[in-house]
Amino acid sequence: MKSLLWKDTKANIKKIAENAPCYYGIDYVPEGKVSSGYITADKTNFEFEVKISSVEEFKKSDEIVLKKKTGLKSIIKIESIRKLDKIPISDFKLSENINEIKTFAEGERFIVKYREKDELTLSPDQKEIIDDAVSRGFDIPVSLANKLIKYKKSLSDDKYEKLLKRVDLELKKREIDPYEAVGIIAAQSIGEPGTQMTMRTFHFAGVVEMNVTLGLPRLIEIVDARRIPSTPSMVIYLTEKYKHDEDRVRELIKNLENTTIIDVADIITDVGEMNLTVKLDKLKSNDRLVTLTDVISALEKIKGIIYNQVDDERILIKLQQESFKKLYQVQEQLKITPIKGVNKINRAIARLDPKENAWIIYTQGSNLKDVLNMEGVDATRTYTNDIIEVENVLGVEAARNAIYREAENTLSEQGLNVDKRHLMLVSDMMTFSGAVRAVGRQGISGRKSSVLARAAFEITSKHLLKAGLLGEIDPLAGVAENIIVGQPVTLGTGAIDLVYKGNKK
Amino acid sequence: MSKFNVLEHEIVPEHHLVPVDEEMSVLKKLNIARDNLPKISINDPAIKALEEIHGKLEPGRIIKIIRKSPTAGYYEYYRVVVKSVI
Repeated sequence: MKSLLWKDTKANIKKIAENAPCYYGIDYVPEGKVSSGYITADKTNFEFEVKISSVEEFKKSDEIVLKKKTGLKSIIKIESIRKLDKIPISDFKLSENINEIKTFAEGERFIVKYREKDELTLSPDQKEIIDDAVSRGFDIPVSLANKLIKYKKSLSDDKYEKLLKRVDLELKKREIDPYEAVGIIAAQSIGEPGTQMTMRTFHFAGVVEMNVTLGLPRLIEIVDARRIPSTPSMVIYLTEKYKHDEDRVRELIKNLENTTIIDVADIITDVGEMNLTVKLDKLKSNDRLVTLTDVISALEKIKGIIYNQVDDERILIKLQQESFKKLYQVQEQLKITPIKGVNKINRAIARLDPKENAWIIYTQGSNLKDVLNMEGVDATRTYTNDIIEVENVLGVEAARNAIYREAENTLSEQGLNVDKRHLMLVSDMMTFSGAVRAVGRQGISGRKSSVLARAAFEITSKHLLKAGLLGEIDPLAGVAENIIVGQPVTLGTGAIDLVYKGNKK
Repeated sequence: MSKFNVLEHEIVPEHHLVPVDEEMSVLKKLNIARDNLPKISINDPAIKALEEIHGKLEPGRIIKIIRKSPTAGYYEYYRVVVKSVI
């Protein structure tokens, strides 16, 4: 969407800010449709953003704020104005090639869409239910309001009150008590079903090379926050244009799979003649849709070699300077020379998903950043099982969701039913510091503030020695340290200090 | 055209910058000091995306995150922007 950019005086900007929403008369006619405007006072940095709802031809009227007194051509309706931290002119893609704004210009800002929190606003029906419940003295969560709407209409008032009472009771039963040891409960709730997990890996039907680690090894991988999971893989959703078109999907797969020369050809080294022969394997190359021309163009990047095509499946490579060392180096280099594809993605297969009724690509190996920028990929849904990669590309909140999603999938795959809240607690704790941290010595437990708690966990002497050297103080606020010194722990009833006021005489 | 925006990905919840004058009421509501809030790095991709809307962010600003919960509908979560995370 195009924006209108213009230079204005500070007095005019002040006038707009005071009167907004208002009509503003300008001496310029926008060519296209504009919905927003940016105002600059110093020609190069924009300080104000306005929302424009309509553009009309100029007519005289008293309610219009004027930019100038004469020569006005159109009126824009300004809905709102807000101050920005200065944004430079380089943030705009202008229709003309200029580097400062003297009067008016039109351009497009490289902007990110800002999602409004529309889901959070309540519908009138929901609001009524909640207000009604509050007036009767019940605190009903928003998620339940939807379900209650139909009962409010069908039940009599007496019965509805009874229903609310029952709902409130059931909610109260499920509430956790203050100072309850939720961490321990979560640990045990995940740990117990963990003992029943199998050690198997899951195979995609028909594709032997493709498997995904599941079960206990995968769960350990998730909570350990491994840099690289043992079987990284991606699920790639496609855009509307691509997802029903089999040919396009095949083309995309071809561009996804990372293919090196060794994948499609044999490399024969002749030490006597000091040359190398690349022999294309017909079966493999047809499978990966690679031709000899692709191989030749990949060879162009290697320096210090002379290559000649012998026949339609062999390339003879000679060295510019003959030496055994160089021969060996070139042979090793040839093996890893990429022909096409995205780095790190070894294999990709497409499956027709019955639920979506569209093609979805599954890959072995993962490279989220590059894949998201590919054409035809639905960048809003494409997903990888590598949590650290999600953190690096999409941020810590996404990583938190990824931990939850992966752990939940791993457990439910095995038919184990762990309450979602335990997994949510684990994922919240792992991302608390702003980066994904493992559960254990390297992560959460290793960074507790209390010396005694750390010493009680692992490597006792190191922590105690360090604390002694640095003169650390332990306020005895946690559980482990209070057990060590023989005090009641700060949980449940132990969390509350009782004060007894004797009878005053 | 513009580069890919991480805030549009389905796994990324909504991030909103809390205006400076509302920060005190947030901290009061949570009954917490600013340092005790969960952290988010200034180099986090979501913060980088927010910076394109609001301009450069300073460490210490509070970010409101509207999370979708499988059990409780939508709820708000707050993180404070920090220079570096451990």
